[in-house]
Amino acid sequence: MISAGTFHVISTELTIGMFALAGVAFLLCAIQKGPISREPVAHWALLGGLIATPFAIISGVNAVPSEGIDNPILANKLLLSMTSAGLAVGILLRRKWGGEVDIRHSSIGMVSVGLMLITAGMGGEYSRSETLLLFIPKETVMLFPIWASIVLLILGIAIVGKSAVEHRS
Amino acid sequence: MRFKVGLVLLLMILSTTISTANPGGKGDDIRSRDCAGSCHASSSSNGISDAELDIQYPEQVYAGLLMEIETWVNFVEVSSNNMVGLALLVNEEGAKDLPGVDGWEVVTDPNGGTNNYVEIVDSFSLQNEVRKTWTLRAPASPGTYELYLAVQHGTPNGGVAMTGISDAKQVVVSEVPENLPRLSPEWEPVNTRPIGEETEITLQLLNTDSALVELKGSNQGPIQVVDNKFTIPAAVNPGTVEWRVVMIGEGPTQQSPWFRITAQEPGWEVDEFALYLQGFALFILCIGLVVLQRPKGEEIESSKYDNTADVTSQFGRIQGSSPAMVDLPTTGPPIPEEGLPAGWTMEQWEYYGQEHLDGLAGGGQQ
Repeated sequence: MISAGTFHVISTELTIGMFALAGVAFLLCAIQKGPISREPVAHWALLGGLIATPFAIISGVNAVPSEGIDNPILANKLLLSMTSAGLAVGILLRRKWGGEVDIRHSSIGMVSVGLMLITAGMGGEYSRSETLLLFIPKETVMLFPIWASIVLLILGIAIVGKSAVEHRS
Repeated sequence: MRFKVGLVLLLMILSTTISTANPGGKGDDIRSRDCAGSCHASSSSNGISDAELDIQYPEQVYAGLLMEIETWVNFVEVSSNNMVGLALLVNEEGAKDLPGVDGWEVVTDPNGGTNNYVEIVDSFSLQNEVRKTWTLRAPASPGTYELYLAVQHGTPNGGVAMTGISDAKQVVVSEVPENLPRLSPEWEPVNTRPIGEETEITLQLLNTDSALVELKGSNQGPIQVVDNKFTIPAAVNPGTVEWRVVMIGEGPTQQSPWFRITAQEPGWEVDEFALYLQGFALFILCIGLVVLQRPKGEEIESSKYDNTADVTSQFGRIQGSSPAMVDLPTTGPPIPEEGLPAGWTMEQWEYYGQEHLDGLAGGGQQ
């Protein structure tokens, strides 16, 4: 058996590798250069990264020596990775439902990739106290009150539900 | 161009230095003896440490009771970060060598944890002795046991991982006398406490009529233990207080090892339910905001399954008409009379057809 820390490294590298590949492919989609395979590569790599993401999150939680979230970097990692995963799932759904891969679609894909890479950078800050993301305020956590989170959740569910119904009709 | 890029990459690879072991340490943990990573490299990148190593035991060691040992690391040159990894082991074989194999328990290591491997940053040099204390619980069975002190460290110039291990240091573990005043084997010391709060510690004493607690470095006298409890004054700043208990009873008066209790700043706290809820809300909201962006989606969706152009092209050829290019009602460029390129779909043609034609016109290849 391997420790949660080792498994976290494996799953994180899978996630980041696939997201990075998706980021490059989305960049080519945005500037409309490169091979014609850029579109499927972008979306399939994003899907691969998304599949690996839960493993990275769960193994990361288990690898933390302390119990619970006791560091603002961990809290920010959670929020950023969930935001990134949300954007990625949205991108894939939009494409599956026939959305055009235009500059806006590609840009959202790149934002999703960027957020995931920032999340990985924060992991380096947490475990080794070293990161290239020197100017990002990693220790400031923007935490909403619970009622605001519930409102956002309801809003999100309503939008997704409406889009799904429109797509079926 | 490719040759130049390859040359640059080759030069970059050749310019790298080979780093051995873990220059920044691996962190305290329960570890067997290892080579610090150097055994996978060439023999020129590892070596035998010149450190003089020793372990000092108390005069009497009783089975199952707490004891304090001191490890010495003397006269050694290390890397610029002054770090040495110390490991307490029961053999030098590199396997089944953890103290727990022989029944030892590390109660407090020199860094305040419970590990047999610790990384110490101190004034290691050819002139200095560095001594560290460990609190152990002796094996439950009387007998003669051996402990080893292993070290691993770097060198002043770097690039070489040094390892070393002491000779076997024997210790005789005796049966506990029936009336010996002592701490109960079930009792565990507290290692940490918050700043600004008094700490009440409850002892479990056996064969003890009265007990006193001494604080190392304190100007005040010993603290009386009442009802097996005593209180350590509150800490104003982060730091460590060392204390021991003197137990008086029918048997010979006993002193416990020095215990360390570390005062820490309160950790960062967050309402985890609110955090997870916000994370999930952001996840759903982001999905919703992205799928909301599909003003042209319906048009694309209809054309995705629209093969009219394909059929018309084939029909035109069957009819014997030979237009150079067939004008088709699609959003992409007209389809060549030889049809779509092999493996292309209509959707791909709509997006990339013009690019393909431009490439052909320019003499290039897609």
